[in-house]
This record gives sequence, C-alpha cells and structure tokens, in this order.
Amino acid sequence: MISAKVKSKIESLMTRYPRKESALMPALMLVQKEKKNNLSKADIEEVAKLVGVTDAKAFGVATFYTMYNVEKKVGAYHLQVDTNLPATLAGAKKILAHLEKKLGIKAGETTADGMFTLTEVECLASCGTCPVIQVNDTYYENLTVKKVDALIESLKKGEMPDNKTASHWGSTCKVLLKNRGVKDATKLAVYKKNGGYTALGKALTMAPEAIIAEVKESGLKGRGGAGFPTGTKWGFLPKNNTKPVYLVCNADEGEPGTYKDRQIMEYDPHLLIEGMAIAARALGSKLGFIYIRGEFDWIADILETAIEEAKKDGQLKEFDIIVHRGAGAYVCGEETALIESIEGKRGQPRMKPPFPAAQGLYACPTIVNNVETFASVPFIVEKGAAEFKKFGPAESAGFRIFGISGNVNKPGTYEYPMGVSFNELIEAAGGVDGKLKAAIVGGLSVAILTADELKDLKMDYASCAAKGTALGSAGIMVINDQWSIPELALRAMKFYAHESCGKCTPCKEGSKMTVRALQKIVSGQGTKEDLANVERLVGTIKGLTLCPVGEAFSVPIRAMVEKFRPEFEALIK
Amino acid sequence: MQITINGRPVEAKPGQTIHQAAKAAGIYIPTLCYHEKVGAAGKCRVCVVEIEGMPALQTACSVEPREGMKIKTRTDRVLAAQKLVVDLLLSTGTHDCLACDQNGHCELQDVAYYLGMERGSFKYADVESVKDDSSEFVSVERSKCISCGRCVAACNNTVTNRVLDFKYRGHKAEIVFDDDKPMGESSCVQCGECAQICPVGALTDKLSKGKARRWDTEKVYSVCPYCGVGCKLELHVDRKKNEIVRITGAEGAPTNNGMLCVKGRYGYDFVGHPDRLTTPLIKENGKFREASWDEAITLVAGKLAEIKQKHGADALMGLCSAKVTNEENYTFQKFFRTAIGTNNIDHCARL
Repeated sequence: MISAKVKSKIESLMTRYPRKESALMPALMLVQKEKKNNLSKADIEEVAKLVGVTDAKAFGVATFYTMYNVEKKVGAYHLQVDTNLPATLAGAKKILAHLEKKLGIKAGETTADGMFTLTEVECLASCGTCPVIQVNDTYYENLTVKKVDALIESLKKGEMPDNKTASHWGSTCKVLLKNRGVKDATKLAVYKKNGGYTALGKALTMAPEAIIAEVKESGLKGRGGAGFPTGTKWGFLPKNNTKPVYLVCNADEGEPGTYKDRQIMEYDPHLLIEGMAIAARALGSKLGFIYIRGEFDWIADILETAIEEAKKDGQLKEFDIIVHRGAGAYVCGEETALIESIEGKRGQPRMKPPFPAAQGLYACPTIVNNVETFASVPFIVEKGAAEFKKFGPAESAGFRIFGISGNVNKPGTYEYPMGVSFNELIEAAGGVDGKLKAAIVGGLSVAILTADELKDLKMDYASCAAKGTALGSAGIMVINDQWSIPELALRAMKFYAHESCGKCTPCKEGSKMTVRALQKIVSGQGTKEDLANVERLVGTIKGLTLCPVGEAFSVPIRAMVEKFRPEFEALIK
Repeated sequence: MQITINGRPVEAKPGQTIHQAAKAAGIYIPTLCYHEKVGAAGKCRVCVVEIEGMPALQTACSVEPREGMKIKTRTDRVLAAQKLVVDLLLSTGTHDCLACDQNGHCELQDVAYYLGMERGSFKYADVESVKDDSSEFVSVERSKCISCGRCVAACNNTVTNRVLDFKYRGHKAEIVFDDDKPMGESSCVQCGECAQICPVGALTDKLSKGKARRWDTEKVYSVCPYCGVGCKLELHVDRKKNEIVRITGAEGAPTNNGMLCVKGRYGYDFVGHPDRLTTPLIKENGKFREASWDEAITLVAGKLAEIKQKHGADALMGLCSAKVTNEENYTFQKFFRTAIGTNNIDHCARL
C-alpha cells in the first residue's frame, strides 16, 4: 500500500501538469523511494489506478527506464558503477573489479545480508570526475580503490559520507561559466549582483519578433549535438496558432563524454532560467519544462529552488517552469522521445513529421532546446548578436563549454570560443596522460579521429565536418596508446544496445547483433565473417532507423573499424 | 498528381502515402508494421524506398508523394536495407513455417519470398521458442513476434480494450498483457483482434490450429448470427470436409471494420455440433419426434388460426429477434399486422 502522504503528493503532481498522465514517472519514483528502492507489481498497479492509466502502460513505463527497480530486490545501498567509455578510460573497470572482490558478488547481484547491490551502469555524465559510483541518489566521484574502501566501510556503518569533490574547469569567455567560482552563485541575489536578469528585463521591453530576429542574427546553433540554428527553429512555430506553446529544455545530458549542462545547472541555475524566460517571451509560451536526467536528482532540486526564488522575485510573472525528472534512458535526449517521456510514456521517438514546433508536447507547438543553448540567449539579448559573433568563426559563432575526459591530466570543463584548437584545449586540460592515440571530440556518437587527424583540428562545425567527424556535444574523450580500439568499440556498442528503445527493427535487433559480433572478435573467437557482419550492420543501419540513435552507433563503430582495422584483424583467427 | 515508381507513371491521390499509391497501381512495397487500420508506425523500416533528390531512404508508409516525385523501390541500396531488416528478424526469432498456422498468410514470409531469403545469417545464439498457451482462444508465440506493434495499437486504439502494451526496451522489448500477466489471466476478453491483425505467427487463433492450410480454405462472407450489430464475417470453409475452420472479421465492412467479439469470432462450434437442431421437432405424448418443415408449419399455422378464431387476433403476440436480418424482421411484423391482424409485435433490441 502506498502511504497517504505519498498519495497526496502524487495527487498534487497530477494537478501540476496540463495532463495528469504526466505524473506517472514522478509517481513511480516517489513510490519506489518509499518502498526502499524497490517497485513491485502491486505498487505499479496502485500507481496506475491513481494516475488513471492502464496496468500495461504503467508496467511498460516502469520497465522502460533503468532507474525503476521493478520486481528486483535491491539492497539498502545500490552501488551503481559507471563503466561507459569516459569512465573506462579513467579506470572504472578496476573499481568495479575491486568492488566485486570486496563484496564477494558480481555486478547485478546483491549481498546475502541485503546491504549492497552492485550494478554496472551507463554514463552518469560525470566524465571529468570519473571513476564515479552513484550510491542510491548520491554521486561519489574521483574515486580510487582506497576511497572506495573508505566509502564501503562508512556505508557498512550506515553512514553516507560527504561526497564533495573538486573538479577542473576554466573559462576564457566568462559567460557560461562566469559564476562558476563565485560563492553562493546559485542564489538569486548573487546572480543579480553579477548582472543577472538584466537581459530578461531588456527582453520584456522588446517585441517578441525582435528577440527572435536577434537570436537568428547571432547564428547560435543548438548546443545539444545536432547544431540546428536556434533562431530558425524558433521561426518554425505555426503562425496564427491558438494552442498553448510549450518550451522544453533538454537537460537529459546522456551523451557519453558530455557533462557541460550539469555545470550550468549546478553552479548557475538562474542563467538557464533567465534564458528560458527570454525564449518564452519571444515564443509566447506560458509553460516550460526542464527535462533533467533522473540521476541528477540533486541538480533538479537546485533548479526547483532557483525557480521558486525567481518566481518570488517577480522574474517569472507570465511563465512557469516544471522540472521533470527522467528515469534513466539515453534515447530521451532525442526531442520527440523526451516529449513522450514528459507525457508519461515510454521514451520512444515519434515519426517526423510532424515536427515538435508544429505538434509536440500534448499535440501543441513545442520548442525543445538544450541547456547550453538557452544559457547563451541572455548574452545575445543583452549584448547583441554582433558581440556574440565576435566569439568564434562566422559559421560557428559563440562560446562553448568543452568537456574533456579520458586520458588527460586535468579532465574538466573549459569554456572557449568556438574554433579553438584541439591542442589548446588539451593544454588547458593539463596535456595528454601518456601518448595520444585518438580522440572522440563530439560525444560518443561521432567518428573517432586518429592522433594524426587531431594535429591541426579546430573545434568548430565546419572544421570537424571537414575531418569527417562532428562537433556534436563538444564532449572530448582522449584516448592514449594503452587502449585497444576493438575493446572500446565493444564497450561503446554495449551502451547503444542497452539504450536502444526497441521501437524500430534495425536498432532493436541490429544493435544486439553488432554487440555479439564484436564480442566474438574481442574474445579472440572472431572470424573474417564476424568483422564483415559488423561492417554490414553499421554500414546499412546508418540512415535506416526511426531516430538518430541508429546513426549514433553506426557512425562511430564504422569509423573505429575503418581507422583501426589492423587492430580488429589482429584479433581474428 | 503524377509520380513515377521504378520509371512507371503512377497516379497518386492527395493524402495518399507512397505505399498506398504504389499498392493501388499494383506495385508491391513490403510492409510489416503498417496496417491501414492502425496506420503508419515507422517501426519495421522494411518499406524504405529511394526518392530522387533525398539523400536518405524514406519510409513509403509515411511519406506522401509530391507532383513529379521519382521513386525507386528496388535499388541495391533499398534491397540491402530490406534484406538486413528481414535477416535480423529471421535471425532473432523462431520463424519456422512448416507447421505454422500463419503459413501462406504471413507478411514476413511474403517479404522473405520477395527478397529471396530462406533464413537468417546472423548465428550468434540459439533462439528458443517462447510460448504462452494460457488463453483459451489465442496462441501466443513470443519468439515469433517482430514487435511491429499492430496488436498494441489495435487493442488500445481500435477495440479500446487497452490490455496490451510494450514492456522493457531495446532487444528485450516485447508485448505485455496488463502488468505482465499470462494472456489467459489478463483482463483480455479474447476478441481476437490482435490475432487478426498480427502479420506473423505470433498471435494465432487456437481453434484453427492444424485444421486447414490457408490456401485450402474458401472465404465465404456472412453476417454474425449473435447480436443485432450485424458484423460482417469471413467464414473460412474447408470444402472437402464442409467445415468452418476459422472466422475472421471482414476488414473495411461498415459495421465492424474487421472487429469481432469473442462469440462472433470463436463461437462457431454450434454450426457442426451434433446437438444442433437441423429439422423441426414436434412434441407428442411428452416426446419429440422429427418432422418436415411443411408439417411443422402447417401445424403452427393451424394453431395460430385456432387461437385467433377462439380468442381474437389480440390474443397473439410476436417478438422479433436481433439475431436475424432487418428484412426478416420486417416480414415478421408485416405478417403479424396483416395476416394475424394485431399490433402486438415487439423486438428484443427495443429493450
């Protein structure tokens, strides 16, 4: 039975959203928290009845997202070890092996006393502070074997130790990370003291068309990964529209190697809120959503506090923002999957057209932008498009947070103008740890570049495209010469197979088949036919899937095979 | 508007998709998830075509033609994509046709035939057969499911019983009844719409199993004998045995558009049942004896006339049935009003 307290919380959530079904995901999470990390079928049925959806739908949703522990016995402390590529490059596999030995269980198992459950998980967006373990809702970062021992000892005593840790960062532009080192920067008073909400004040005196024109003129492109011009996207809203317009911030930050949005939301939440409020003014939106990945629970709290503060201060007079927590699904970074997820459904992409600008959330016109995109808007409105364009080359205007992880000495987030050289960034990140072998520069889903190709690379859209890769989310993973590319390809591919939503055939079955073929090769049992299978799969799947996830794995795997073929062939019998 | 498919001029109507225009012109573009009743889902990706001027392959089930569009359905690129999709499906399911009830009616088989494919080429693990035999009328063979989603859409949007959905994700995604119950223990009312719309052998009619091959039966159209809705039926008759081996709803019929209820679809055993009355019976000395229609009708007519003569026409009344046709009902009330001479006539559907 769900307690009366949680029930009333769920009921108030149902009235918070335009449609009550949207409360399904937060409701399931509230119940799971009450039930000590576990969710039974009976709980799901009860939630389904309460929210007014079918049992099948609620069960489908609960089993789609990895953060719901459906019919699993999860221990008091759920140790979730990220072993995705940036974490692996930082030694996460050693941490996992150590935990398996120390606890006497394998990943996926629970200790006999019910104290610990050990799970291998995908990228937690902690790429510069890996290895990382998420214990229940709390991140423990920059871990070493010694720190893990101390953590376990403390947990055995029933104490969650302090999780504060330092991370590297730098900014030459002082826009997106300008408040990063400032004390109490999340507080409205501090934000305002440093010039915050001036741009919103200005925007409220401007005609909506003038704001859109300024953003168009700035050449700002979406910072999520696809790089679509923001002003153009805003211009897609239907004319003479009578339906509500929804504004959605994509804060899912699931692309491995990407942990930049987190810096903005955690250290400067008002920058995002101000950006969204300006966009709402421009687009005539009364309600916005921040779709934040569920693992960022504490950051969601920071955002909610900041929104309340902004409301009290009168900054959000005609615009409200709901923070909607995801529950573990990479695919929800795709805008239509994200919209489905806000609607309380399985996060599966929709067919396009219709595009969200015409028919998005609740079948109403919807604009979805990334955190960093919204956070760039106040500067453009306050200082003007011309000032914005002073950063970076003409086709890649502006500043950008580059997240650098992997084999560098000071992995971290660095704000630079677009077009900065790869070498300058690596220097800022303390240089390569070991000998540079390769790097993936736009999040995991872009083509890998060899050390040779990286030599004169400039970090902007055109330069990356010229090298046959993409700037993507500007998450740079540096790989030194101790790593085997086939092994990294397998680890990357396992991620995509795990995250495939299962809606379209080539991704659903093709991702699994690619994993199996790579597994055979990496284990030394592979044949030429297996390598040919990998090439056929990734060669054909590109462009064949319903959403970009098919491309997201076929492009990088294909590049790894093409550029490091001898390493694959050496493993073949 | 005029378009060309494989160099051939084709007339397309506004609002049609490429697939619909091609179909109307007799050009086969394979589909697995698309069904006209549930619409395009974009899931199977087997209907891809090349369109001049578009760099990526396009799904024929969703793209609407534009004037002058040049479409190709059998280029190397299209065929490679279709073959990969079918290869993946054949490699990950137990698509054995020999004893499958869907043999000859299977859309995956049709695509494999079109592409000249016998079996899947990815051999990384044995695929085990997974069955759910709990339902009285519908067989579930999960290992034959291709996750096209037609049944889920039909259950939720067409018949709105809302029992089915998908559970889990990625290659583990599969259909679910309620919160993961066996079909027979779920809230399913076994209308069988899912079995009718399933393109493969994953959901099939249990009563028809092993009764007759699809190509050995003749389709006879009829009206459901049960209630007054008058659903249009397709009786699948094995002429050699003179037996109904399956009933499906007639797609496109204005009354039911292919849908049926559990009685109309599966309650047909009475037709050939030994207990069925096939001749009139007359009770004499407390016992029934067989009689001819002429004898029975003469007897009833005599009794009706006798009652009318003794007690007047209003001593009689007639009750029409929703289980017969409008024409029969009309005749029946006319008979009562004119031949018998009473307005004592009512109908069970007036309740």
